[in-house]
Amino acid sequence: MTTSMNEYIPRFLDVKRKVQETGDTYTIVLDEVSKAEPGQFFMLSVPGAGEAPISVASGTGRELEFTIRSVGKVTSAIRERDRIGVRGPYGNAWPYDKYENVLAIAGGIGIPPVRSLIERMIDKGRGEQLEVLYGARTPEDIVYSSLIDSWSSNIRMRLTVDRGNTTWKGNVGFVTSLIGKSESPRNSAVFIIGPPLMMKNAVAEALKSGFREDRIFLSLERRMECGIGVCGHCNIGHYYVCESGPIFPYSSVKQEPELFL
Amino acid sequence: MSVVTVCPYCGTGCQIVIEGSKGQRVSGYSLSPVNHGKLCVKGYSGLTYNFSDDRLRYPLIRSNGEFRRVSWEEALDYASKRLLEIIRKHGADAVAFQSSAKCTNEENYLMQKMARLVGTNNIDHCARSCHSPTVAGLVSTLGAGAATGSIESLGDSKTFFIIGSNTTEQHPIIGAKIIEERDRGKNLIVADPRRTKLADIASIYIQFRPGTDVALLNSMMFVIVNEGLQDSKFIEERTKGFPALSREVEKYDPVLMEAVTGAPSDLVIKAARIIAEERPAAILYAMGITQHIHGTENVQSISNLALLTGNIGKRGSGIFPLRGQNNVQGSSDMGALSEWYPGYVRVEENDVERIEKLWGRKLPRKRGLALSEMFEAAADGKLKAIYLMGENPLVTEASVADVERGLDNLELFIVQDIFMTLTAGKAHVVFPASTSLEKEGTFTNTERRIQKVNKVFDPPGEAKPDWWILKEMGMRICGMRNYSSPEEIFNEIRTVVKNYSGATYQNIYPIGKQWPINENAPEGTEILHATAFPIGRAEFKVIQYRSPAESVDEYFDLIMTTGRNYYHWHSGTMSRRTDILERESPEPYIEINIKDAQRLGIRNGQRITVKSRHGSMSIKASLTDSIPEGVVFAPFHFEEARVNKLVGNELDPVAKIPEFKVVPVRLIP
Amino acid sequence: MNYILSKDEMQHLFSRISRRYEVYGAVERDGEVVFERVNDFGIVSQKKSRYAPKEFLIERGENVLATVPQERKAVFGIKSCDLKGFYIMDKQILGKDPFYTARRENTLFVNYVCNEPCNGGFCTTFGGPVLSDFQIQVLKDQEGYHVMVSKEFDHYFRDFRRDESRAFEEITEKFMREMKPLPVEGIESRMKWDSKLWKEFSSKCISCGACNYSCPTCYCFDIYDEGEERRREWDSCILSGFTRTSAGNVRPDLSDRLRQRFYHKFSYYKKAKGEYLCTGCNRCVDDCPVNIDIKEVITHDYLNE
Repeated sequence: MTTSMNEYIPRFLDVKRKVQETGDTYTIVLDEVSKAEPGQFFMLSVPGAGEAPISVASGTGRELEFTIRSVGKVTSAIRERDRIGVRGPYGNAWPYDKYENVLAIAGGIGIPPVRSLIERMIDKGRGEQLEVLYGARTPEDIVYSSLIDSWSSNIRMRLTVDRGNTTWKGNVGFVTSLIGKSESPRNSAVFIIGPPLMMKNAVAEALKSGFREDRIFLSLERRMECGIGVCGHCNIGHYYVCESGPIFPYSSVKQEPELFL
Repeated sequence: MSVVTVCPYCGTGCQIVIEGSKGQRVSGYSLSPVNHGKLCVKGYSGLTYNFSDDRLRYPLIRSNGEFRRVSWEEALDYASKRLLEIIRKHGADAVAFQSSAKCTNEENYLMQKMARLVGTNNIDHCARSCHSPTVAGLVSTLGAGAATGSIESLGDSKTFFIIGSNTTEQHPIIGAKIIEERDRGKNLIVADPRRTKLADIASIYIQFRPGTDVALLNSMMFVIVNEGLQDSKFIEERTKGFPALSREVEKYDPVLMEAVTGAPSDLVIKAARIIAEERPAAILYAMGITQHIHGTENVQSISNLALLTGNIGKRGSGIFPLRGQNNVQGSSDMGALSEWYPGYVRVEENDVERIEKLWGRKLPRKRGLALSEMFEAAADGKLKAIYLMGENPLVTEASVADVERGLDNLELFIVQDIFMTLTAGKAHVVFPASTSLEKEGTFTNTERRIQKVNKVFDPPGEAKPDWWILKEMGMRICGMRNYSSPEEIFNEIRTVVKNYSGATYQNIYPIGKQWPINENAPEGTEILHATAFPIGRAEFKVIQYRSPAESVDEYFDLIMTTGRNYYHWHSGTMSRRTDILERESPEPYIEINIKDAQRLGIRNGQRITVKSRHGSMSIKASLTDSIPEGVVFAPFHFEEARVNKLVGNELDPVAKIPEFKVVPVRLIP
Repeated sequence: MNYILSKDEMQHLFSRISRRYEVYGAVERDGEVVFERVNDFGIVSQKKSRYAPKEFLIERGENVLATVPQERKAVFGIKSCDLKGFYIMDKQILGKDPFYTARRENTLFVNYVCNEPCNGGFCTTFGGPVLSDFQIQVLKDQEGYHVMVSKEFDHYFRDFRRDESRAFEEITEKFMREMKPLPVEGIESRMKWDSKLWKEFSSKCISCGACNYSCPTCYCFDIYDEGEERRREWDSCILSGFTRTSAGNVRPDLSDRLRQRFYHKFSYYKKAKGEYLCTGCNRCVDDCPVNIDIKEVITHDYLNE
């Protein structure tokens, strides 16, 4: 019986580099070229600790990178290892190649799959068609600050923080407040990812600002354990987030009472 | 394979069937009169601790601060040699034995026999911290300290009065029975400081102040006597002491008592009338009644109430102390207590002679140290050695700081357990034992039902059944017989404990039988005291309300009551090693009333410090409205927040139980 | 193809199957009907087993990093309601979970159609008691054993007599008479998110998980690492940890989770896979300590609460 016959058995990859992004968030670069599209996720594991679903942070064709926040046993254990178990990619991708223009709105720890989107679209020469709005809680919580400058020369990007500090000179305010000022064409695809309340408000703002309801896409997050649509934990409505998502058109899920919980 | 055995968690004693080629599947035994095939989440998902990698596999001896693996022979010889040395030098009372309410009747019997053959009554166990007041209280009022009916018989009750028991969380299958009966329209009266699940569906819910049980119960009896609702015929024919009781309860007008108990008088009056008139009425209680320094008196008040209303001896009525551990009823029956020989023969009584004849030796007649006293005695140097089986006092005993000091001061500490618990970590010798799924024996559940425990798996490594280890130690230190099987031990128990005399391994399988089981009652006895009390007439006791050991003051302004939750079990050594149970309740918490939290500036999930007069801990706050203002609640399952460190060391004078339920604390955000 | 066999012929069939498969059957043990290895057709019971033999497909607990087992097993005496559950589960997990898939492909289920409606069962609501998807379906009566065989297993029946009777139709007619199907059609639209029913259930439910464990269509499981193994165990969606993440819990109340269970069974699965995730076996009701009855979810008057 070969490993490929058992989807649960991970492949192990070396960690080439580790970067501490903020206090509790870090990035690992693995020894594999990513075949994943932006928005997809992998199940990363540490034997003895368990598995966790993490979105891919790098663009397709680049080194496989993940940005992880230490919130539990597995996410803390991953940080200490030089070899990580990997399964995937799973799930679906941001449908960036179906629309001419894309407005991506990321709140907090939702930024990694948007970074993946940024790198992919830049690599495909479509940087001019992408606008990104990124909101962090405070300046200390901004992830990828070293990359933001280089991105800004390739795409339109606006950064804001919920609360500033003494040295912060940029925007202060919720990321949703930037939506109305977006210059993206109103028929752009709108990709939204972040905490549930932020997503709810972002959808409302986007609709108010004239973006099309049928072009809004959300990246949903639920407890995941298998990643392959069998353990039942990520069920929302008649979908399993790991199989039919994590990217959902707003129209498909807007009737779900559990959507923004 | 398919093995019928008994769940190792609570005193309900549900029968389980373990099946499958690897014994992975657990279901309830459908023919059991205890649970009829139902189980709670601990039964279904809580048994995988059995296969944990943490299981102790080899005997260990500590030398130079490190545990090293040794053979059984070396461990047993060393432990017994050291014990005998200490006994020779300092006397038998310099050693103590701590038995286990999780171990079988056979094992508890052996341990207490060992203690007594060695020459001491220093044998005790966690029943001390749980239902010791029940034994003391009910033996004094009725002549027997156990539930008077069966779980089945609750189907015939018209009224349930549940006080100090969070039944759906601690005895879930019994709680489920109450829910079912409530659905059929029965009366349900719940008295508890916390609004439990049963309180939410009760016909009457009385929220009252922790520690004021006697005032509450006496005020109910005031109503009954005042309105002439007592069962005069029953009182006249079967009790004594009523006039004195009625004079005492005269002082407890519920309207006046409201200031003491916080219980609305109209509810108290309604409840009292229902208990007296809507009969048969069953009274169920647990730690809320017993874990006080007036625990014995609380129990006697419950007994008073039941006798007053004639709610004893008839099917559907009765007193139901809900025993906690899977075999705490059995371990008490076996006399693993410092004031009782097996069969509830008091150590000072002449009846001990009968046991002396059976065991062929003169036996000690002085009451020994209670569990709560052993650690103090160890700290003072009076106790030099403890042989402990299946308990974790560092987490479960009150004023845990004293326990630590006591254990550290021992010359010899032998621990027999399945995991390296916090307590085992302090041992000089560790014996690896089997779980209840790995040995044969019997458990007695809270309704006095003796049930057969059957072996399902082999123990890991060199771990052995507790009865074997005890027998080996017994042979070495007191000339104990070389018992060859648990059945042999059980057959001896039958000769010593009259209530067990008619039980055999064959007739208690597949479903158990309730003691007394003897020639007069070959099928066991469902309802106790139906025609007579063991002491002839039951006795009313005059109980005055007295306040708890500690009271709140300006600094320690909240009352903490400790307890358990549904998912975990006691010190968590088993349940916290089970993934699903640990997932349900992963970390320690303290429940605080939302208004109190607001007043103190505490947010939900915030880590705070909780201080009592005896200790402090750091713990996360969990805001809720099911607990009244002025009261906070913390479960004691978590090693990382040892709640019992904050509980004082004052004891009930008769039962020697600490006051786990009333601990004045201060919350510091 | 339909055949009729005598008891002896069933024994022959049994032996034939035993040559290729490890055979299990429903047998009476200590007053209950459980599944065990059997080597004699005669001891297989006609009675409904204590539990759905879900473990032949999803083990109660196992290591998902282990080699996927390929043993061939045959199970005699599984009831139609239990077997139907597997066909319904197939729609979600067959082909995805390697263990379920291997076991499903390697297990032959010989289901025994009931002669009488069982106490509380409501299989007629979901097309029972005679299944339209089956491998070898058996109905015993005075004439003998009527057997419906799928193409895949027809070769076992080469020398047996064809059955021209209406035995299966008759048993269906009898069941439809004695066990009126519940009005399940359209339940997915009738159910109300804010119904009082969920709170009613949660005031009684003690969170034991029996409903999930006993159900032939519940497949959810929990995965965790234990030493070198990645274990998975049956899980229960009514436990609060089922959806808890570091960010919070989308179903914080017990009533939310009970509602989820029933929505998954009667609304979500129907929408996603076209079938209700229930077979009317009534095991969840039998095993519930507080008698919460799933039939109430179907019959409740949501409109006029």
